[in-house]
Amino acid sequence: MTQQDDKRDRRHDETRRAFLVGAALGAATGLVTDAPAQGHDAQTTTGTAPHATASADSHGAFFNDGDAATIAAFTERLWPAAPDRPGATQIGVPNYIDLALAGAYADQQDFYRRGLIQLDAYCVAAHGKPFTRLDAAAQDDVIRALEQGKATGFTWPTAPAFFNTVRTHTMEGLFADPIYGGNVDFAGWRQVGFPGGQPVFTEQDMQSRDAFARAPIVGLHAQAPARRG
Amino acid sequence: MALTKADVVIVGVGAAGGILAAELAKSGMKVVGLERGPRLKTADFEPHDELRYFQRQDLRPNIKRDPVTWRPNSSTRAHPLPVLNNGNQAGGGTVHYGTVSWRMHEDDFRARSQTVARYGADAIPQDSSLVDWPVSYADLEPFYDRAEYELGVSGKAGNLQGKKIDGGNVFETARQREYPLPPLLIDQSGLLFDDAARKLGYHPFSSPRAIVSQPYNGRPGCTYCGFCQSFGCHVGAKSSILVTKLPEADATGNFTLVTGAMCYAVNSDNTGKVTGVSYYGPGGADNTIEAEIVILTTFIYDNVRLLLLSKSDKHPNGLANSSGEVGKHLMAHMMANVFVTFDDRYLNNFMGPSAQKHTIDDFNADNFDHSGMDFIRGAQISIGTPNLEGGPISATTIMPPPGVPRWGAAYRDFLSKYYARHGAMVAQTENLPYADQTIDLDPNVRDVWGLATPRLTYDWRRPNELKRVEFMQAKMEEIGRAMGSPQVWRAPVLPGPPGAHHEGGTRMGSDPKSSVVNRYGQAWDNPNLFVIGSSTFPTMGAGFNPTLTIQALAYMSADAIVNRYKKNPGALL
Repeated sequence: MTQQDDKRDRRHDETRRAFLVGAALGAATGLVTDAPAQGHDAQTTTGTAPHATASADSHGAFFNDGDAATIAAFTERLWPAAPDRPGATQIGVPNYIDLALAGAYADQQDFYRRGLIQLDAYCVAAHGKPFTRLDAAAQDDVIRALEQGKATGFTWPTAPAFFNTVRTHTMEGLFADPIYGGNVDFAGWRQVGFPGGQPVFTEQDMQSRDAFARAPIVGLHAQAPARRG
Repeated sequence: MALTKADVVIVGVGAAGGILAAELAKSGMKVVGLERGPRLKTADFEPHDELRYFQRQDLRPNIKRDPVTWRPNSSTRAHPLPVLNNGNQAGGGTVHYGTVSWRMHEDDFRARSQTVARYGADAIPQDSSLVDWPVSYADLEPFYDRAEYELGVSGKAGNLQGKKIDGGNVFETARQREYPLPPLLIDQSGLLFDDAARKLGYHPFSSPRAIVSQPYNGRPGCTYCGFCQSFGCHVGAKSSILVTKLPEADATGNFTLVTGAMCYAVNSDNTGKVTGVSYYGPGGADNTIEAEIVILTTFIYDNVRLLLLSKSDKHPNGLANSSGEVGKHLMAHMMANVFVTFDDRYLNNFMGPSAQKHTIDDFNADNFDHSGMDFIRGAQISIGTPNLEGGPISATTIMPPPGVPRWGAAYRDFLSKYYARHGAMVAQTENLPYADQTIDLDPNVRDVWGLATPRLTYDWRRPNELKRVEFMQAKMEEIGRAMGSPQVWRAPVLPGPPGAHHEGGTRMGSDPKSSVVNRYGQAWDNPNLFVIGSSTFPTMGAGFNPTLTIQALAYMSADAIVNRYKKNPGALL
């Protein structure tokens, strides 16, 4: 990482802490926090938090336990954790998908059910075990076979269609506002350096060569009161 | 069944309909506007929510309620397009558009004769229906000017009364006066693009946009929040019809807007006159309005569909279709992308208006010599964001550079490092007209009102278009390298469906046998019926976003109706 990265993340972390204090005082919901920031290296804050967020790998709106475990394992391979960074599960992607399938994407429930059945059938046929019991390398082989249309036994959804949909929904869970159940504590946005819904950028911001660090990340819960001043 | 009378009924109150509503109501005519969607307010646009507006397309038609189907050729079955880019509310597409506001070049209005004169008739592909427009730049210039000033467009002149000005578009045809507002701020990606283009001998400039860069007509200047294309503007700086012409129309006391109104027929009598329209109200009620003038200003899909649905004994092929031209010559801009990343700096292209920020016009239209190139016409090349939207969800749709997968640890590291360090160039590439690129009624798919959906039969991959896209991608790669990017790569091109800015379907012309409407959008067959919008464009003109030309045409038609048609109703203009 560059110094700019570090600077950016420290600033985001400082402002995040300030924001979380405000959120707690204001009893804002949806911005579930991890542990307090740990000293100087902001990069480690989220990834090593001892208390994973309440919503990080939870489900309950749509998936049964088995399907939830498969989706958690699958999305974690799409955006895996690193020693210093949370992966899809901890960022709340499975929770995002679970809520979306019970709501906005209810018309895709059967797409997921059938896709998951076909996924495990293929895993058993090709590797002798269902997806969750494969090691990471074998899981990656399976996902690659889906992406490339080489996984056998899929009718509807097709293997690439299932892969593409889960990938798209994983990206949504990483980078949509936390109000939708993923991107917990803005962890997705902080990994890529997106400051959320800033109401204003200045000429200096626009022309800067540096990472944006002037203001805290702004999510939907903060926007309306922030505008009211 | 409600029965209402009006002087004018306008179907679709967007880029064109909003202008006609205001101008005709100001002249004293009683105007009713029908709008399929709601009328939203600036305060409704406060949530800066990429999932809702970009990804889930909240301001666009719902593809399950209002499907539009597409097939690459007439021997295949059509399927609903996954994304529609037109608007679905009062203000139409101007609510969520990227606002890039061009005047076409003088020779764009006569693309056929220009091509023949410069390269010979053989340069035009034999299957192309390339024609000249029945209107000239000189005809439209006063109305371009009016649109820029009344709506609020920010930019810098590049040709002021014949004087070329560096920093503006030196390829533009002479304008009579400067833009009403100075250009929007340049961003880091624009600075790099500007510098690179100049090094290569090109002529970069800030894209003219219908966003007010300073307070104007009671609206505040742009805040550069970045939630722009796909979003409504949370401060009203975007010069959408919602904050420009609709308030003017309201103030006349002569305008009634009916929202939630789905027009399904233009009614006509056996003399060839149209008598009004029928529509379903928000609760499903069946309504009819009688009117002296009917104006269709929906997106091209519904302009065509309404004419085809409104067939009668006298008009067995659909209204205004004695020429058989309704639905033909569908065109769309092919959007070819090249991406760049940087290791020594951030671009932060989530900042500022997100669409086509900084531009060169050097390879657009006929601004360069095509001799020996095996294709005609060109593209507008600009730097901005992928999908014209700069949030991280949009960035995840980028095909990563060769060697980087779309998922897993390597993808995570790529996006984490480069999301705030990437730029996206787009060549907005003109599409020649072809008569077999069409819109008709899908016999297999219906919308929620039970109406046959518009069906597009279209494949952009014609030889002329493929060669042009290849040329533009190479140009963008050249610019990317000149920007100093260590990593320059192309996005794969779309496998056939129409890209941005759909045009054609109710072609304007000078001959009733080969066109649907005249230069004023007046139907040859039904002189009290007008069709106005990009559906009347005989050619795309250039790699230019069509909205300002749509709006200039709307002003020209309003002027002709108020000052001439009203004195002699029912006659051709």
